[in-house]
Amino acid sequence: MTQGETHSTATDALIARLAQDARPVRPLPHPARRMLAWAAVALLFGMAMVWAIGPRPDLAARLGDGRFLLEQGAALATGLAAAVAALSMTVPGASPLLRLLPVAPGAVWVGTLSVGCLRDWWRLGPEGLQITPDPACLFYIALIGSLPALVLLSMLRRGVPLAPRWTTLLAALAAAGLGNFALRFFHMEDAALMVLVWQVGSVALLAALAGLAGRVLLPWSARPVI
Amino acid sequence: MRRAQAGDAAAYRVLLDDVAGRMRRLVRRRAPWLQPSDVEDLVQDILLSLHQSRSTWDPERPFLPWIVAVARSRLADNARRYVRRTTINVAASDLAETFCDMRTNTNAENVVNQLSVQKAMQGLTKTEKQAVELLRLREMTLAEAAAASGSTIAALKVAMHRAKLKMKAKLWKDDTP
Repeated sequence: MTQGETHSTATDALIARLAQDARPVRPLPHPARRMLAWAAVALLFGMAMVWAIGPRPDLAARLGDGRFLLEQGAALATGLAAAVAALSMTVPGASPLLRLLPVAPGAVWVGTLSVGCLRDWWRLGPEGLQITPDPACLFYIALIGSLPALVLLSMLRRGVPLAPRWTTLLAALAAAGLGNFALRFFHMEDAALMVLVWQVGSVALLAALAGLAGRVLLPWSARPVI
Repeated sequence: MRRAQAGDAAAYRVLLDDVAGRMRRLVRRRAPWLQPSDVEDLVQDILLSLHQSRSTWDPERPFLPWIVAVARSRLADNARRYVRRTTINVAASDLAETFCDMRTNTNAENVVNQLSVQKAMQGLTKTEKQAVELLRLREMTLAEAAAASGSTIAALKVAMHRAKLKMKAKLWKDDTP
């Protein structure tokens, strides 16, 4: 028996063994439906954190401010789109272009804040564009995004890590985006440049770090062969 | 595949046979320089991956793009690993000329390593222990180990894979302060 035939026999034996292990499996629901389940958990956790830390005193006034609502809407949409994109990335055969889903809401988010920077500069001059240290943003975004990130990671692990770095980058963008969405309900920081640097910057940093750790966070469990 | 997802073993076996044939052709076409044994190893890896990820196939979508996406990912992953290993081997081939070829492990370290392996093997099943002993400790080939144990190559591969995961988890756990 040649070496190739030995291995072909081994493949036949493997097929027999896998067929023996053919327990019924439930197909995963559509990524959009899975995202809704995740968003429910993430938003509940975000609301609980806002309640625990205490909402900002001017929240009622903020909720009547179109700019605030637009920025918050764009942050939420970016997070949700990133979650759908991440979940889609673990489904073999899904279009790779789905990873670009959060680009449009993300552009609206950054664009709105950039326009806000120009408005602040126009209104207040150079003082409107001052940057002061605000590392609490990174801490709170990471804290509020932690549980949603873990839940999303466990959901992603039920899929296939076809592009692990992109997937974890998008997952962290989703979790941190929702973390930032919740943060602004208790954190009194509305200067556009500060939000852009410390909040959007924190979201981008966390997403980039998660992207780098993609292969560790989402490994193939099948063994290496050659 | 729909019947396989429902737990129909016979239909699943037919599907796996068909996929194995198609994947063999795909791997040969993509990597004509591979030895037949390497091609079979890749086919087996794709079949294992199909098995692990079969819940991700949506019955409303065609099957072929799904399995091709899984196969392409496994091929790319193994190609990366192959290149990395070749690079390390090439780099390592110069080391003997550059560095002193002295033993790195002391006797005490060898004893500690042996004890760690013995401890990590405690959580294994009888089959997994046998796979580790024959394949790793006695360094037998898969065919030799299958003949010695009266098992099959596929069963040994699966047992070794499971044993490796369990031992790795155990050793990491012990290593963490």
